[in-house]
Amino acid sequence: MHIDLNELIWAIINFLVLLALLYKFLWNPILNTLDKRSEEIKSNLSSAEALKKQAEEMLEEYKKKIADAKSEAQAIINQANKAAEENRNKIISQAHEEAARIIEKAREEIRREKEQALKEVRDEIATLAVMAAGKVLEKSITKEDHEKLVREFLAEVGEIQ
Amino acid sequence: MHETHYLFHIFGLGVTSTVTTMWAIMLVLTILSILATRNMEKIPKGIQNALEMVVEMLLNFFSGIIGYEKARMFLPFLGTMFLFILISNYSGLIPGAGHVPGLAAPTSTWSVTAGLAITVFFATHIFGVKAHGIGYLKKFLQPVFMLPLNIIEHFVRPLSLSLRLYGNIFGEEMVIATLLGLIPYFVPLPVMLLSVLFGLIQAIVFTLLSSIYFYEATEEHH
Repeated sequence: MHIDLNELIWAIINFLVLLALLYKFLWNPILNTLDKRSEEIKSNLSSAEALKKQAEEMLEEYKKKIADAKSEAQAIINQANKAAEENRNKIISQAHEEAARIIEKAREEIRREKEQALKEVRDEIATLAVMAAGKVLEKSITKEDHEKLVREFLAEVGEIQ
Repeated sequence: MHETHYLFHIFGLGVTSTVTTMWAIMLVLTILSILATRNMEKIPKGIQNALEMVVEMLLNFFSGIIGYEKARMFLPFLGTMFLFILISNYSGLIPGAGHVPGLAAPTSTWSVTAGLAITVFFATHIFGVKAHGIGYLKKFLQPVFMLPLNIIEHFVRPLSLSLRLYGNIFGEEMVIATLLGLIPYFVPLPVMLLSVLFGLIQAIVFTLLSSIYFYEATEEHH
């Protein structure tokens, strides 16, 4: 076991030369590439992160919009329902009124008709009574009596006039 | 340990089989790196993907020990050390390693592991001074009477680092060589498989301890 100074010096020289060569052809280019790549991946990741955040914000916004639209639609439906309800009530009350009016009118008509009918009946009865009376009288009274009656009647009428 | 055999000399420095093996490892690693990063694509595939996985694994491993910031800062040093030691350990499993001229596991000699440990030693203090300026030296005076022990500790570190790595790899190779000499068929196989595991463990231990030294040198004062 001994040290050969020639070999020792060669080892140092060789190592330093190899260090320089590999620094130029291996470490420097590859470490730079690795740095660049990790830099790129980092920036890609951060931009992906930003995009994700943006997408999430948009999603949130659209969710809000949808919710707004839904509540708006609900409001419109509620309003429509209310209007329909009102309309229905109005129509029903109108119909009630109309019905009442028609009934009233019908009653009036009936009353009038009844009166008319009674009047007609009364007239008819008077006429019939007179006619019946006439028929009775015709048999019992003589020609002189009848003429006398007519004369008296005419005289009464003449007095009134 | 037999006498060091020099294949040839460059700038007066003797070149041994371990040195040429180191060059081969450097060449392979550099070519792989160039192939992987020549046309970097956003979505990695093939060899780019494979090496990116290795880099990320190492980064995660050291991040778990010394935190991401420091791991990112020291990864070139620690990662290079790890790959270099790992492949050096495995180069000893190539048939003929240690016997064929020009092929010997670098980490199976103390000289090489000592060289690597010395680089860690200097790197530790350079990183420390860079992080804290001259105030880095105050770390050795906490408390003041511990100064000699602190200094000794820092000099023992490269010793233990280099001896641990060298001892393990050299020991494994000796065991395999001996077994191959006794019964060349089947018997050495489990040991060789274990060597694959030990090679990885030793590479991890060396760089793990280095990362802790770096962390300690650069951490904030309390």
